[in-house]
Amino acid sequence: MDTAFLIESAIKVHIVLGFVLLGVPLIVWMERKVLGHMQDRIGPERVGPFGLLQTIADGIKLFMKEDLVPAQADKAVFILAPAITVVTALIATTVIPWGDTVTLFGRTIPLHIADVNVALLFVLATTSMGVFGVVLGGWASNSKYPLLGGLRSSAQMISYELAQGISLVSVVLLAGTLSLTQIARQQAHMWYVVPQFFGFAIYVISAIAETNRAPFDLPEAETELVAGFHTEYSSMKWAFYFLGEYANMMVVSGVAITVFLGGWNGPVLPPVVWFLIKLTAFLFFFIWLRATFPRLRYDQLMAFGWKVLLPASILNLVLTAIVVVL
Amino acid sequence: MLIPALLFAMFAGIAIGCSLGVIFHRNPVHCALMLVGVLLSVSGLFILLNASFLAALQVLVYAGAIMVLFLFVLMLLNLKGESPLLTRGAAKGFGILFAIVVFVELLWTVLSPQLEGGMATPPTVPTGFGSPAAIGRVLYTVWLYPFEITSILLLIAVIGAVVLAKRKFG
Repeated sequence: MDTAFLIESAIKVHIVLGFVLLGVPLIVWMERKVLGHMQDRIGPERVGPFGLLQTIADGIKLFMKEDLVPAQADKAVFILAPAITVVTALIATTVIPWGDTVTLFGRTIPLHIADVNVALLFVLATTSMGVFGVVLGGWASNSKYPLLGGLRSSAQMISYELAQGISLVSVVLLAGTLSLTQIARQQAHMWYVVPQFFGFAIYVISAIAETNRAPFDLPEAETELVAGFHTEYSSMKWAFYFLGEYANMMVVSGVAITVFLGGWNGPVLPPVVWFLIKLTAFLFFFIWLRATFPRLRYDQLMAFGWKVLLPASILNLVLTAIVVVL
Repeated sequence: MLIPALLFAMFAGIAIGCSLGVIFHRNPVHCALMLVGVLLSVSGLFILLNASFLAALQVLVYAGAIMVLFLFVLMLLNLKGESPLLTRGAAKGFGILFAIVVFVELLWTVLSPQLEGGMATPPTVPTGFGSPAAIGRVLYTVWLYPFEITSILLLIAVIGAVVLAKRKFG
């Protein structure tokens, strides 16, 4: 473990962290703009050019707000819960490759923070830890709507995690490796979305459920649960949940791009640019879905997850296995 | 050599501290959280032992899935004061008994190679050790029967859960 490696890693950690933390306000701005135009409105436009600084202003406002902890809350867990959501999302970004290797000053530098040979499982493991943030937040608030929201989300996330994992395993069967870098490298000529279209569809649906986005945003269904698990949260703790949700969107998009959509591969433009283009397109897709679909009912959501998505993903896995063996 | 040793001390320390927390916390949800801490630090120890696949599965299955279900049940039941399963005396007796058994077992494991002439060098790690491929190969050849029996055991548990859930009361 030489010094150059440590410096190189430290720089990459800062780049990724900065990208995620600065990217989240941009995504929020994009979401508000896109939703606005889809609903025949203009969206934010007052703060900065095209309203670009609106999210920054909102962030400052949240910083300034009074930080409330309910009297009956479990204080330690109440503070811990939003931190878990953000930290797990940030940890997962370490293994997502945003480009192949580059050579700088005679050193070959791979464009991801850590090359873990079980990277795909690493991402699944850290995102599965993210459930704790929501569940504990709901429990620690010691209030009925957050508790119901927390319970819903734990059931929802566990159910959809299964389908998500199994849809990724089908690609692992084709690729023969769990390393995200190698999976991306193999897609130089054909993206895995072509042979694994059903796997891709299952992954995208369960990823939306996993990140609690509309139409699967049952944990915070405002018409029935006020605001679900984060009803009692205010100020920066609430902003942390917000940050975690958008960072998670980046992670699941990054995994979808790397595993199914060819990673950084693309003609003419440099790899990093391709990755960013695909990331933006995927996030736009997330927002588009939110503007299009009404929220599901809770029993529909669970029935869909267990009776449709899980059997479909297992069937896809078995068929893929048969094809690979033949 | 220094960095792995420091990491080992850190993970082992957290594991021990959290284990004590599991026992001494009064609130069941806090106990469950401490158990998550134990599982995470043990997965850190797995990584130090070159078993990154096992470490990822430990987090994914135990910390991520099973502990969330534990929390789910604890939150639904909302246990405030736990009702003890055993009387205080019986619990103490069992505790001392198990502590002695585990201590003797650990002592035996540590001391037996020393008694047989000592381990001059620790065994070398073969290439690909702990990789998914290596684990899969061993699991489906050497340990095939235990593996299949475990799967049947799990199937029985699933069927049992369905039967219990479908039973009409009253």
